[in-house]
Amino acid sequence: MGTRFARGLRLAVLAGVALLVVGCATGQLDATKPIGKEAQDIDGLMRLSGWMAVGVGIFVAAAVVVIIVKFRAKPTDDPDDLPPQIHGNRKAEITWTLIPTALLVFLTIITLPTVFALAREGDGRTIKVEGQQWWWQFSYDVNEDGDFDDAADIVTANDLVIPVGEEVNLEIHSNDVIHSFWIPQLNGKRDAVPGRVHHWRISSTEPGIFYGECVEFCGLSHANMQMRAIVLEEADFERWLEGQQAGRAAAAEPLAEDSAEAAGASLFETHCISCHVVDGVYESAAGGNANLLAGIAPNLTNLMSRTAFAGALYETYVQDADREYVRGPDGKLIVNIAGLREWVRNAPDLKPARADNLQGMLDFSEVLTDQDLDNLMAYLRTLGNEPVLPR
Amino acid sequence: MAIVTDRPDSPDLGGSSGSGTELEPAGGGAAVLEDSPHTGVFARPTHATGWREWLFTVDHKKIGIMYGALALFWFLIGGLEIGLVRLQLWAPDGEVISADFYNQLFTMHGVTMVFLVIMPLANAFANYLVPLQIGARDVAFPRMNALGLWVFFFGGIFLNLSWFLGGGADGGWFAYAPNTGMAYSPGHGMDFYALGLQIAGIASLLGAINLLVTIINMRCPGMSLLRMPVFTWMILVVQFLLVFALPVITVALILLTFDRTFDANFFNVDAGADPLLWQHLFWIFGHPEVYILILPAFGVVSETLPVFSRKPLFGYPIVVLSGAAIGFMGWGVWAHHMFTSGMGPVSVAAFSATTMFIAVPTGVKILNWIATMWAGKVRFTVPMMFSVSLVAMFTIGGLSGVMHAIAPADTQQTDTYFIVAHFHYVLVGGALMGMFAGMYYWWPKAFGYHLNERMGRWHFWLMLIGFNTTFGPMHIVGLQGMARRHSVYGEFDGFEFWNKIATIGYFFMLIAMVILAVNIFRTWGRYRRGLEPQAGADPWDGRTLEWAIPSPTPEHNFDYVPVVSDVDDFWHKKYQPDETGKLRRIAYGNDIAQLGDQHPHLPSPSYWPIVLAAGLPLIGFGLIYNLWIAGIGLLLLVGSMFGWTLEPATDPDAGHGHGHDGHGDHDDDHGAKDPDSPDGHNGVLAASTANGEAAGD
Repeated sequence: MGTRFARGLRLAVLAGVALLVVGCATGQLDATKPIGKEAQDIDGLMRLSGWMAVGVGIFVAAAVVVIIVKFRAKPTDDPDDLPPQIHGNRKAEITWTLIPTALLVFLTIITLPTVFALAREGDGRTIKVEGQQWWWQFSYDVNEDGDFDDAADIVTANDLVIPVGEEVNLEIHSNDVIHSFWIPQLNGKRDAVPGRVHHWRISSTEPGIFYGECVEFCGLSHANMQMRAIVLEEADFERWLEGQQAGRAAAAEPLAEDSAEAAGASLFETHCISCHVVDGVYESAAGGNANLLAGIAPNLTNLMSRTAFAGALYETYVQDADREYVRGPDGKLIVNIAGLREWVRNAPDLKPARADNLQGMLDFSEVLTDQDLDNLMAYLRTLGNEPVLPR
Repeated sequence: MAIVTDRPDSPDLGGSSGSGTELEPAGGGAAVLEDSPHTGVFARPTHATGWREWLFTVDHKKIGIMYGALALFWFLIGGLEIGLVRLQLWAPDGEVISADFYNQLFTMHGVTMVFLVIMPLANAFANYLVPLQIGARDVAFPRMNALGLWVFFFGGIFLNLSWFLGGGADGGWFAYAPNTGMAYSPGHGMDFYALGLQIAGIASLLGAINLLVTIINMRCPGMSLLRMPVFTWMILVVQFLLVFALPVITVALILLTFDRTFDANFFNVDAGADPLLWQHLFWIFGHPEVYILILPAFGVVSETLPVFSRKPLFGYPIVVLSGAAIGFMGWGVWAHHMFTSGMGPVSVAAFSATTMFIAVPTGVKILNWIATMWAGKVRFTVPMMFSVSLVAMFTIGGLSGVMHAIAPADTQQTDTYFIVAHFHYVLVGGALMGMFAGMYYWWPKAFGYHLNERMGRWHFWLMLIGFNTTFGPMHIVGLQGMARRHSVYGEFDGFEFWNKIATIGYFFMLIAMVILAVNIFRTWGRYRRGLEPQAGADPWDGRTLEWAIPSPTPEHNFDYVPVVSDVDDFWHKKYQPDETGKLRRIAYGNDIAQLGDQHPHLPSPSYWPIVLAAGLPLIGFGLIYNLWIAGIGLLLLVGSMFGWTLEPATDPDAGHGHGHDGHGDHDDDHGAKDPDSPDGHNGVLAASTANGEAAGD
C-alpha cells in the first residue's frame, strides 16, 4: 500500500506543478503583481502569511501522510491487541497552544502597522469617486477650492487618470447601493457605501493602464461595472487636464448647420439629455434626475477622451489581439464606431440593465433609425479629443 | 425517588398535563381531558402506521432521519443550481444563462447550502444521536421537536417556491442593504428570502432550545458534563450559538421585511439609514453561524477518529474546551467580514487581532486529532477516510482563513474567488466531509445495515478529487483577481484555464453524489430483500452509548437507563486492564449491548406539529401577496396551538395499566442503579425526565 500511495503522491505533485506552470498565465487584475506602493505593502504581507500557511499546511499534511502510511492497521494485527492508550499529554498540549499563538502574535504585530499606514491620508490631490449601477464616475477638483462642481472641475467616467508617483486621495461615494472600488495592482478594495464617504489612497510606481472593477455585489450588471486607472507621467497628466478643458470649450462651439453632427446633436437633445450631461450645452440632467435610481448617467462632455465606454466594458478605440492600439494612416487612434453605435442602439443587449426599473440605459433599437445612429455617432465624435495614453 | 413519583414530568409542560391526568385524575383541568380525551379534532393518533407514522411522529430518531433526507434533497437542488453557474463560467463571456438568472442561482445556492443542507444535516445527527449518546429515551420536548422539523420542511419549500413565482432571491446570501430593498430588487425573490429564512430560523430555534434542555437535563446517571461524548458537546455549544445568534438575524430579516412590505425606512439611505447596520446585524449572526456549521462536523470526527484509531481521543478536555472557546470567540470576530466596508482602522485592527486568535483553539483541535491517530492502529473504513480528509481539508481552509485575518491582505482577497475557495474548504472540506463521515459511521445504527463500502470508497475518492479540483484552483484565480458573483469574466482576465478545471471538478463531485444516491437506494433495496447482513449493535467497536443498544435503534432507545462512570464508558465495559496494566478485551459490544426487548410506554404521535407548521408559510404568502392569506395562516397557527395544548397526553386505549407498568419498570431500574451512580443529582433528573416522557410527552 505504501509504495502505491507514494507513487500516486509523486504523480499528483508532478501534475500539480505542471498545472501551476500552465495556469499561471496571469491577467490584468492580478493582485500578486503589485505596482502601487500600497499594493506592494499588502503583497508583502500576503506572501509572508501565504508561505507561513504553506509551511503549517505541509506539516499537517506530512503528519496525515505518516498516519496513513505508518499507523495503518494491518490485516495481520491481533484485533484484541490495542495500540498504546494515550489520553493526552499536558506538555504537548501547552506546546501546540503556544506555538500557533506565537506565530499569530507575530502576524498581528506585522499586520497592525500596515492597517494604520493604509488608512493614512496621502500627500497628493483628492479625486471624488462615485459608484452607481453600473459604472464609476471620477471628479477632479481642478481649481482646488474643495468641491467638485465648478465649471473648471472635471467630471469623467470609467478612466481614473492619475499622475505617476502621486499619493492620490480618493473620496469614495455611492449614489445607490453598496459598491466596492478595486484596482488590484494599485491597492486593496474599499467599499462605496451610500450615505457615507470613504477615504482611500492609491498610487502607482510606474505609468500604465491598470484595470479594476466593482467587487461588492451590486445587482444585475455587477460583473460589468469595470474601470481602469490610466497612470501618466506628470507632463502627460498636465496635457490630459488641458485636453479636458479644451474638450469642454469645444463642445460648446456651435456645429455647422445641416451637418451630420448638428443632426446628431438634435437627436441627442431629443433622446439623451434627460439623463446625460454635456457641460455648458446640455445641463438639464445636471444635479440629479428622476429617470435613474442613481440620479446620474455618465457625463459625456469628453466622451472621446476616455479609453472605454459602457462601464469600461468596451474599448472606445480599436485594439489588436494583444490589446495594442491600432492607429490609422493619419497616426490617430481608430474609433470603435461599430461598438459605440451598437451600444447606443441597444445598450441592454450588450450589458444587462433594467430600464423599466430606472436601472441602466434604454433600448433605442425601435426608436432610432440607421441614419439617426450615424448622425448621433457623428455628434458623439465631436465630444472630446483622443485620450492621453501612458508612455 | 420522591422526586420521580411526585414530579415525573417537570421539564415538559406538554407532558405535565398529560401525566398529571394519569397520576392524579382528580385535578380540575384533568377532568376536562378525561371527559373528552379523544373526540373530534383533539383526538390524538395512537399507533400511526405507513406514511402517517412519519408525518405525525414525535420520535427523535424518525425526526432525525427526516431532517437528513430533506437535507440531502436540498443538497441535490443546491448542487444542481451551482452546476449551471459552473457551466456559465466555463469560458469567458459565458452565455449559458442570463446575468439575472446567474444572480438568483448563486444566491439560492448559498442560502440553500447553508440553511437547508448543512444546518439540517447537523440537526439530523443531533436529533438522532444526542439522546442516544446521553442515554435518554427521547429529547425533552418531542412534539416541539416534530414542530421544528415541519417548520423547516415548510420553510424550505416556501423559500424555493420563489423559483416558480417570479424568480429566486437575487441579492447574494448575505443580502446587503440597500441592494435588497424594494427599489433595487422589485421582484418577490427577496421577500421569499426574508420570510423563508425567518421560518427556517424558527425551526432552528425550536431545535436549539429542545436540545439544550435535553443535554442539560436528561443525561443518564453518571454522565457529568466532562463525561459527555464530544459530538454531544459540540452540539451543545452549537445550540447555545443558535439561541443567541438566530434572534439577531431574525431582527435583521424583520427589518428587511418591514422595509419591503410596509415601506419602512430601516435601510433607506435617503431617510437617514446607514446600510452598515444590515452588515453588522447579518454578520453578528453570520460569523457564529460559521461555527454552527462546522462544530457538528468537528464533533463527528472527534467520535470517529478515536474509534477507528482504537485509541482514546487525545486531550478530551482540551478538545471540548477548545470547542467551547471557539463558540465564545466566534462572537468577537464578525466584523472581519467588513474589513473593506469603511469601519475605520481601529475597528479593523481589533477585529483583525481577534480573528487571528480564534485560529488557536481551532489549531489545537487539529493537532489533538492528529495526536489521536498517531501511533494508533488506524482502520481506513469509509467513515474514517472522510474523517481524515476533514482534518486535512479543513486545515487548508483554516490556514487561508488566517491569511484573511490579516486585514490589509483581506482587502485584496475579500469578494474574490480566494474567499470562495476558503469557505468551501471550510464548509465542504470541513463540514460536509464530517457529515459524510457521520453518515457512513452511524448508518448501521439508524437502519440496521451498512452502506456499501466499495461504493463508499468511490464516493469518497471522487468527492475528494472533485472537491480539490473545483475549489483548489479558486485560490489561484482569486489571487489573480477573479471577483466572486461576476456572471462573466473577460477574455483578457486570464481566468479561463482554472475555471475549466473547476467546472470539471464539479462533475466529479456530481458523480460522487450520484454514487452516494445509488448506494443509499441500492443498499436499502438489498436489505429489504434480505441480501444485506444485519448490522450488530456495535459494528465499529464503538466507545459511546449509542453502540450499547441494538441496530437499528429500538423505538424506545434503551431498555433501561444506562449508568456511566467514565468518558467512553461503553469502551471500558469491553476493555479492562489486566494484572500488568495492559488493556485486554473482556467482552464484545454485540454481546453486552442491551437487547431492545422491552416495550415501555412511549409518547403518542401528534397531528399538531405539522398542522401548526403549515400556518407559517401561509403567513409568509400573506405578507407578500395579500394579508387575508396571512389571516388564514394565523388562524391555523393559533388554532393549532389550542389543539396542541388540549391534545390528550397519551393513548387512552393503551391504558393506564401499560403506562403504570412502564413507570414501575423505570422506578425499579432507577432504584437499582441510583445508589451506584456517582452523580446522583443528574441521575434523578434523567430518570424523572425519562418517566415523564414515558407517561405522556
